[in-house]
Amino acid sequence: MVLQPNERRYRDWSHRRLGPWCSPTGSPAPLSCETGCGEGSWILVCRLLVPTQVSLLSMEEDIDTRKINNSFLRDHSYATEADIISTVEFNHTGELLATGDKGGRVVIFQREQESKNQVHRRGEYNVYSTFQSHEPEFDYLKSLEIEEKINKIRWLPQQNAAYFLLSTNDKTVKLWKVSERDKRPEGYNLKDEEGRLRDPATITTLRVPVLRPMDLMVEATPRRVFANAHTYHINSISVNSDYETYMSADDLRINLWNFEITNQSFNIVDIKPANMEELTEVITAAEFHPHHCNTFVYSSSKGTIRLCDMRASALCDRHTKFFEEPEDPSNRSFFSEIISSISDVKFSHSGRYIMTRDYLTVKVWDLNMENRPIETYQVHDYLRSKLCSLYENDCIFDKFECVWNGSDSVIMTGSYNNFFRMFDRNTKRDVTLEASRENSKPRAILKPRKVCVGGKRRKDEISVDSLDFSKKILHTAWHPSENIIAVAATNNLYIFQDKVN
Amino acid sequence: MEVQKEAQRIMTLSVWKMYHSRMQRGGLRLHRSLQLSLVMRSARELYLSAKVEAHEQTEVPSLPARSPDPRLHPLREAQAAAEAASPDGEQPCSEPMDTQEAPRAEETPARCTPHPAKVSRKRRSSSLSDGGDAGLVPSKKARLEEEAEEGASSEVPDRLQPPPAQAEGAFPNLARVLQRRFSGLLNCSPAASPTVSPPACEGKPACRPADNMLNVLVRAVVAF
Repeated sequence: MVLQPNERRYRDWSHRRLGPWCSPTGSPAPLSCETGCGEGSWILVCRLLVPTQVSLLSMEEDIDTRKINNSFLRDHSYATEADIISTVEFNHTGELLATGDKGGRVVIFQREQESKNQVHRRGEYNVYSTFQSHEPEFDYLKSLEIEEKINKIRWLPQQNAAYFLLSTNDKTVKLWKVSERDKRPEGYNLKDEEGRLRDPATITTLRVPVLRPMDLMVEATPRRVFANAHTYHINSISVNSDYETYMSADDLRINLWNFEITNQSFNIVDIKPANMEELTEVITAAEFHPHHCNTFVYSSSKGTIRLCDMRASALCDRHTKFFEEPEDPSNRSFFSEIISSISDVKFSHSGRYIMTRDYLTVKVWDLNMENRPIETYQVHDYLRSKLCSLYENDCIFDKFECVWNGSDSVIMTGSYNNFFRMFDRNTKRDVTLEASRENSKPRAILKPRKVCVGGKRRKDEISVDSLDFSKKILHTAWHPSENIIAVAATNNLYIFQDKVN
Repeated sequence: MEVQKEAQRIMTLSVWKMYHSRMQRGGLRLHRSLQLSLVMRSARELYLSAKVEAHEQTEVPSLPARSPDPRLHPLREAQAAAEAASPDGEQPCSEPMDTQEAPRAEETPARCTPHPAKVSRKRRSSSLSDGGDAGLVPSKKARLEEEAEEGASSEVPDRLQPPPAQAEGAFPNLARVLQRRFSGLLNCSPAASPTVSPPACEGKPACRPADNMLNVLVRAVVAF
């Protein structure tokens, strides 16, 4: 079955969801109000998997003929590398959830509307639209292939009936318009039955077309393409609170764009040294302040964050604030330089705090205090003694993301073995949960997991050595107002909801 | 001795990773290459300091305690290797070093011919002139050794100006590092006069018949 990019197949996909990968949903669960992660329990709402056309075919093919690039994908049945989810993002209302994958596709899920006869389906997300955002390209000048992998998706706030989102790969940012069409003009008499244009001389009557309802169709059209502005690989995009501009950041430069202008962008940060030999750090992430359209932050590979004010100068090479924590000499190790590299930076919804993720920790910084973070959470400190092996299998370079919940009281980030962690900032409690096919049935309550560090391993604990480092959760998203989270585990998207007892 | 072997293993692994990162889709990742070069630098530093200490017949320290600040400029590390007895002394220097790096970067525009930092293998290898390298390397070596003897801790203006032919590379300092020490590492013996293999010295293969592997590896590193 071929999925046309413009067709809405949500009914077909819900049928497919009840196929071999998902069991039918069980009894309904009440919706949650704002609670921390400690009080409620998390249940699996649905697990979504949108196979590509290739992998649909591969269901009937032999194992040998399947295109499997990485050995660990053999454990995920019928999955190809192109299906690996590379970014997840809720829109501003939480009604839509967008995912981008390595194959350059964007899949948008929409929340099931509340209905009287199917109460238990509220909170589930179904496929709303699928389109190919980026294609692989070839840079002939540098003899380099440009990957089509979607690095980031950012939604624009909704201003009319259509939805707009930005999606980017390594080099090009695109603005997509996703709109619904449920009416179609009918009654033209300009074409004959076969669809060919009639000779104008044969047309003797003027027929005004009438809008007739049709099956709902969701179409995605590229409205803007912002290309050729980045020499290095784009790692972040961020929409400004003025809704007119956005920025794109690569390893050494940050550019400011206007949505209406695609052939120009302002360079606002440039940390490229005149002599590349002197290069010591790169930009790893950047984000605009949620309310102040002149303020943004960017993080570096050295573990520092710079806050810049665009009012100060056109080129924001000199920061307004510089956040750096002095290194703990007792934690000094061979790899401490690379594990201090910040992989993600996020403003809190209030705009008062920023959260940064490096390899082993998540830190919360107060914008008013530059010399150290106000909170530090250990995500998987048991890996500190395993850094050498993690360097060998390249896991030490994994870039984990982190997210705030709607009220900025809980933060979440991913780990290995399909574990993800939540930290309640108020109660100081944390929980480790697992997103896996084997361990969770829909509507079942997720059991907190524990990693045994040493000594005697209790039942239900998992030892560090048996962690599966090929199963990593790099991308998660939290609904802007409710306790609904989306967790991307390789090619699966898990949606969990907080169930209040 | 184990420390040396471990450091050597990590160095080899890092070079291998760098070489393979060229072949992956999407081209070289600047951040990844930077991280690999940092690890390589740390490993080299570790190896050197362990070797110096073993040479001085003092107790070989444990691995974590010996890792220096990799942010140090590699030429400063050459001094640090000479001053291997005081690894902790490097740490207080790290702060002023960082601030000095910024003005250093600003000084370089005045001296270096600006090169577009394109990640182009072809352009880079062609910019490394064959004739220039043979003359460059001995003088580089001499300059580095001279600095190590002096133990200068302040900025030396000459140091800032790399050989113009190598300004193109992303991490040619790494190439120099490898040129100086890698042959010694691979052969498991300290190199009295390090066999040098300028990366683009394709016109004279007969000069260095024993360096085939070294040639490949160093060329891989420099060709960012």
